[in-house]
Amino acid sequence: MEVAITGIGLVSSLGDNPGDILSRIGRGETAIRPLPDPGGVSPCPGYAPILDFDAADFFPENKTLRMMSRDAQLAVVAARRAMENAKISQGELYRPEEIALYGATGLSGIAPREISRLVRGAAADDGSLDLERFGTVALRRTRPVLSFKILSNMPICYVSIFENIRGPNAIFTPWEGNAAQAIAAGIRAVRSGNVPCALVGGCDVKTHTLSIAGLDRLGVFESWLQSGEGTIPGEGAAFLVLENLDHAAARGAKIYARIRSVASRSIDDDESPEDAIAEIFDEITNRPACESIAPNLIVASADGEPRIARAETNAMKQSAFEQTGKIYPKLFLGNTFAAAAPINVALAAKSLHGRIERGSAIASCFGPGGELSAFLLESP
Amino acid sequence: MKRVVVTAIGMISPVGVGREASWSALIAGRSGIGPITRFDASSLPVRIGGEVDPFDEDAIRQRYPNIAKTHDRKVMLGLYAAEEAIADARLSPETLRDAILYVGVGLESIRLEDLTRHAAAEDLGLSLLAAKDEDGWIQTPLDFTASLLGRAYGFRRGRYTNCSACAAGTQVVGQAWEMLREGEANIALAGATDSMINPLGLGGFSLLQALSEENDHPQRACRPFDLSREGTVLGEGATFLVLETLEHAKTRGATPYAEILGYGSSLDAHAVSDPDPAGRGAVDSMRGALRSAKLTPADIDCVSAHGTGTPKNDAVETAAIKEVLGDRALQIPVHAIKSMTGHMIAASGAIESAAAALTVSRRVIPPTINLVEPDPACDLDYVPGTSREFTGRTVLSNSFGFGGQNATLVFGKSG
Repeated sequence: MEVAITGIGLVSSLGDNPGDILSRIGRGETAIRPLPDPGGVSPCPGYAPILDFDAADFFPENKTLRMMSRDAQLAVVAARRAMENAKISQGELYRPEEIALYGATGLSGIAPREISRLVRGAAADDGSLDLERFGTVALRRTRPVLSFKILSNMPICYVSIFENIRGPNAIFTPWEGNAAQAIAAGIRAVRSGNVPCALVGGCDVKTHTLSIAGLDRLGVFESWLQSGEGTIPGEGAAFLVLENLDHAAARGAKIYARIRSVASRSIDDDESPEDAIAEIFDEITNRPACESIAPNLIVASADGEPRIARAETNAMKQSAFEQTGKIYPKLFLGNTFAAAAPINVALAAKSLHGRIERGSAIASCFGPGGELSAFLLESP
Repeated sequence: MKRVVVTAIGMISPVGVGREASWSALIAGRSGIGPITRFDASSLPVRIGGEVDPFDEDAIRQRYPNIAKTHDRKVMLGLYAAEEAIADARLSPETLRDAILYVGVGLESIRLEDLTRHAAAEDLGLSLLAAKDEDGWIQTPLDFTASLLGRAYGFRRGRYTNCSACAAGTQVVGQAWEMLREGEANIALAGATDSMINPLGLGGFSLLQALSEENDHPQRACRPFDLSREGTVLGEGATFLVLETLEHAKTRGATPYAEILGYGSSLDAHAVSDPDPAGRGAVDSMRGALRSAKLTPADIDCVSAHGTGTPKNDAVETAAIKEVLGDRALQIPVHAIKSMTGHMIAASGAIESAAAALTVSRRVIPPTINLVEPDPACDLDYVPGTSREFTGRTVLSNSFGFGGQNATLVFGKSG
């Protein structure tokens, strides 16, 4: 059973329309700007925030939305756009239990202002944790909703509530490779005939100081110190509607792309990253019925982090993709981590939409955590 | 489609360290709930929980030197259970290298004491960024358990980290089952680990008013299906299962505990904090599992309930079981091991999956303890007080989570 991409929804620092984003990337426009850094303490020189996003603009009457964390808000808006783009109105085309939902969320990205009251309430004068104050002061100052801003599954659960999706589901975390696994799970659900439709995607917010500090301690920005190059933190959300191809064609849906093959694997510590990436490139292009497909475009995963960029470039050489066109979204959007995989697949799909000649594109997805995936898409 | 069996189990829980100790305690009806001892909880409204004790964290730290930067208890618990499962399976390193790994986890571990020293700063994040002399992690990535297991054993077919809250432990087993059934691999290690027994975890759940505050009677505090139930009790622990295609297990001479027959998952799409009072998500999840197993309600011989002991869950789950199984619900045992372990959040579904597999293989159903006066809205046979012989072939196991995620597995007698 073949799977088609029939809807795309994005919230990104370069805009919300995948065609415009591709054009802006083509013109070299970047959303990356200097990071406000009053003390000169930032581990990276820039960030890529989404400016002027206010969830209330999208759901003005909804109080729940204002109680949600920013990554959940981005997810809900991107998911709504994807469903509208696919022209799937709630309950009309598919019953709620016929739509699967596979999503990904990043490292907890709670904003400093949301947790400051709790932390201040729990601190003794010398800055140590005072458990007596924690129980008697801090907890009493804390709104119960804080837990729902920290729980990693919440953004995707909010998507289910806003879109009334009740089908098979799972939520993966915390990196780009894990988000690619969520997309692969949705493809599996549709391909196996378990459901006719799946909404897949991810969201992440890494643009405030607390989340940048969290990434810094994990060593994500180390290469800036070593070589003056590296990852720029960003934020965003992207969702894709996947449908059984025959079903989509029969209803006259706009089909961005057919998903021809997917390959995923993990990388060992003692393994060359370029060999591992080349292996998944080879796997997707050597599957039965995919051998004759020569990709026109690779939406690359690498950004400024030199080791990753080198590995992907060498893998492309190994797989004889040197002449294939390439775009590097993270160089313009920043690294959106758990949102990066669906953004890459969305841009690959959009690049194929409306083509007169048959074409194909690869979306490459990896990063911290050691999970690699690649998707081979073909024009409908 | 390939048949998939459970060939190994590793388990660490508030009722026992190790599979056999945990299982013996479960069938003896022993509670693992007691006063919190791992930190001073005296100022908190909830001061009880299901702690794993004794547990030698240092032994785990010595085997995994990369663990140094984290204090995340669930990572240690997860590694213990995964290693026990791997040892139980007697798998070669080559087999594990090409296996799938699925790890279910709950809330990211953030230590308050790492933040309070920056409490006076205007911007907490900037202050943390400026503290270049501090090199401990602020947050332990939720994929850290999977990452450590990957470094130790390989799992090159994919290391998946699922954060579907209380449904995670069941979803990881179900997703691994789906992949093996469809031939994506021959073998998988799937399980979950969690510990919320820390100030932020216990405090956060207290705020949600989902926890029992019966601090003076810890062992009686979690009372699924009882009329006087007031809430659940947090527990901690981890469980991993080795899943194999039946063909692979036979080839290497492994003896299965049970076969996984079906899996379903669903969403309430109702509210993040409360279950849908109509139980639609729970019903869909159980029906999905029956459908994928190609079974009818008459084929189900026992239900391992989500059974948290919260007023809302137990009544909704009872009604959902009755809706799905019809008259069969009144004829079969329905039990809740959370009455003994407490709610291990992400890990609950995994330990309940293991308990279901052991029920099938060892022919004993663990009891629901503390059930003295059944709620009239909870009118099934909950195996109160003492364990019971299992004479059937199948067990259906439910997990329902915060956010409205639901998952159900069906286990059957192998062979």
